[in-house]
Amino acid sequence: MSGADAQNVWEQPSPSAFRMNLRYIDWIWHVRDSVPLPEGQSAEEALDRIEPMLDQMDTTHERIGHMIAFTRKAPVPQDPLSVFEDGELSIVATDQGRTLRYHLVSKALLFCFLLPVLFIGFGQLMLAAGNYQMAQAEAKKKADGAQKKDKKKDEAKVLELNPIDKMLGAPAPEKPKKDKEKERKPSATAAYVFSALFAILYVVGRFLEPWLVRRRFRARLEGA
Amino acid sequence: MVGTRVGNRIIGAESPVTVGWENLPKVEGGPFKRFFFTWFQPVTFFALLAFWYYAPNDIAKASTAIGIGIGFKVLLLGLEWVNPRYKSWQLTWKELVTDLFYVGLGYTVLRIVDDFIGDGVMIGWVQEQWSLDKFSWFTGLPLLLQAFLISFIFDFGQYWMHRGMHNWHPLWLTHAPHHFVTQLNINKGAVGNPVELFLIGLGIGGFFDFLPRAFLLAGTFGLTVSIYQHINVRFNTPNWWRFLFNTIEHHSVHHSRDYEATRSNYSGTWIIIDRMFGTCVDGEAEILGIEGGRRMSIRETMHYPFTEGWKAIKAKFGRKGGFAEPDAVPAE
Repeated sequence: MSGADAQNVWEQPSPSAFRMNLRYIDWIWHVRDSVPLPEGQSAEEALDRIEPMLDQMDTTHERIGHMIAFTRKAPVPQDPLSVFEDGELSIVATDQGRTLRYHLVSKALLFCFLLPVLFIGFGQLMLAAGNYQMAQAEAKKKADGAQKKDKKKDEAKVLELNPIDKMLGAPAPEKPKKDKEKERKPSATAAYVFSALFAILYVVGRFLEPWLVRRRFRARLEGA
Repeated sequence: MVGTRVGNRIIGAESPVTVGWENLPKVEGGPFKRFFFTWFQPVTFFALLAFWYYAPNDIAKASTAIGIGIGFKVLLLGLEWVNPRYKSWQLTWKELVTDLFYVGLGYTVLRIVDDFIGDGVMIGWVQEQWSLDKFSWFTGLPLLLQAFLISFIFDFGQYWMHRGMHNWHPLWLTHAPHHFVTQLNINKGAVGNPVELFLIGLGIGGFFDFLPRAFLLAGTFGLTVSIYQHINVRFNTPNWWRFLFNTIEHHSVHHSRDYEATRSNYSGTWIIIDRMFGTCVDGEAEILGIEGGRRMSIRETMHYPFTEGWKAIKAKFGRKGGFAEPDAVPAE
């Protein structure tokens, strides 16, 4: 969003019913919060302290009056606000004094929120592919069995340890298990584990990142 | 920037690279911390080799290896927290999510692709055609020799694949996204376009009918050596280790923003392969990435080889082959 078009989100009217509905779910990837300014700090001074945080690669920011709007595509990990791609920060007067209010938008939070669903989908894909391969293997086995009915199956060989390993006491290999036991059943466990992991990471990130950004803004305003 | 002469090349002329082991910082802190970060790598290496060598058959299996692998990675993430190499490489929540997304792809979608068109299928087909299972004579060799050969042969293949990626444009397009990382962490090895991850995973180890225990021992080289390529931990790595094995120091040079430095240290485990072919540069770098260190988004990582490949084809054949748009920017 360009600085000229940017408006304070608290004063922004909802232009349509869709936008109003989106507001109920946009907490998933939007962060709205405020930090009180230290006593006696002017709005200009506060924004002067905050603005250098936005002097980062790939970031454009504009300051209009008591408000700063910024936008970027892919902030680097070294960026102190790397989780947020867009945002507005403004100094407003409240009953408790001046406050820095901010509204930050994070595609990373949205992405992480959606990842569990994506990985459940991958899990279903793994099951489908596994079942297909099992069916193929079964069909091949049947076809081979019909051709080689008379041939005696080779007994599975037991591999022998090298004498050096015998001397050093390494356990001897066992007879290889039968094909049936070896066969892998289709499994989506890995996908489900990642799905759960991303769900946990989303919850952690949704609390951790707003807390970190608030701490960084406060430290900046206090000049630490 | 002046850079440092290494053989016929000037390393670090475009971006800072420290060259030479004697110039690298040591672990700072109390005696316990220095002791721990000096001995951690060799002790875990030999301990795991001994474990897989002597573990009873019902323990020496893939599921145990997976469990140990996950536990070891969690431990290393903890070490990154305790003793980071660079503050600018510190893992953030967003980087962790991004890294794990790529790791997750490796365990799910890429596994499906591998099952259908990966090395397992190709090796199975070749073995059926030419009865290469006669290589089972190999299983009579001592276990540690088998493990070394599996690891070395696989890494030798990876060295040339990786070197090819840095020297042949179509392959480079698949590998380039991995070089956009600006920090190294334990899971950064998985960051990249899936086509590259598929190519780099192709190996010839499956041609040999190795003892499973030898595979588990060979896996130890991956778990306790090549895993350190992308770690943000300062170690006092022993000199013999640095001579034989790839380290985070070597790999940070490879990821440096200095073009000449990126054309070095291609191996994954055995840096001695780089020494054999004259591509080894001993040193380290903090400033990483390409194109000025911009971050490549996941979306761009997914389409980069294809869109850039298409652009390259258009640039090369566009005018002759009729690809060019009539309104294309006029040629110079």
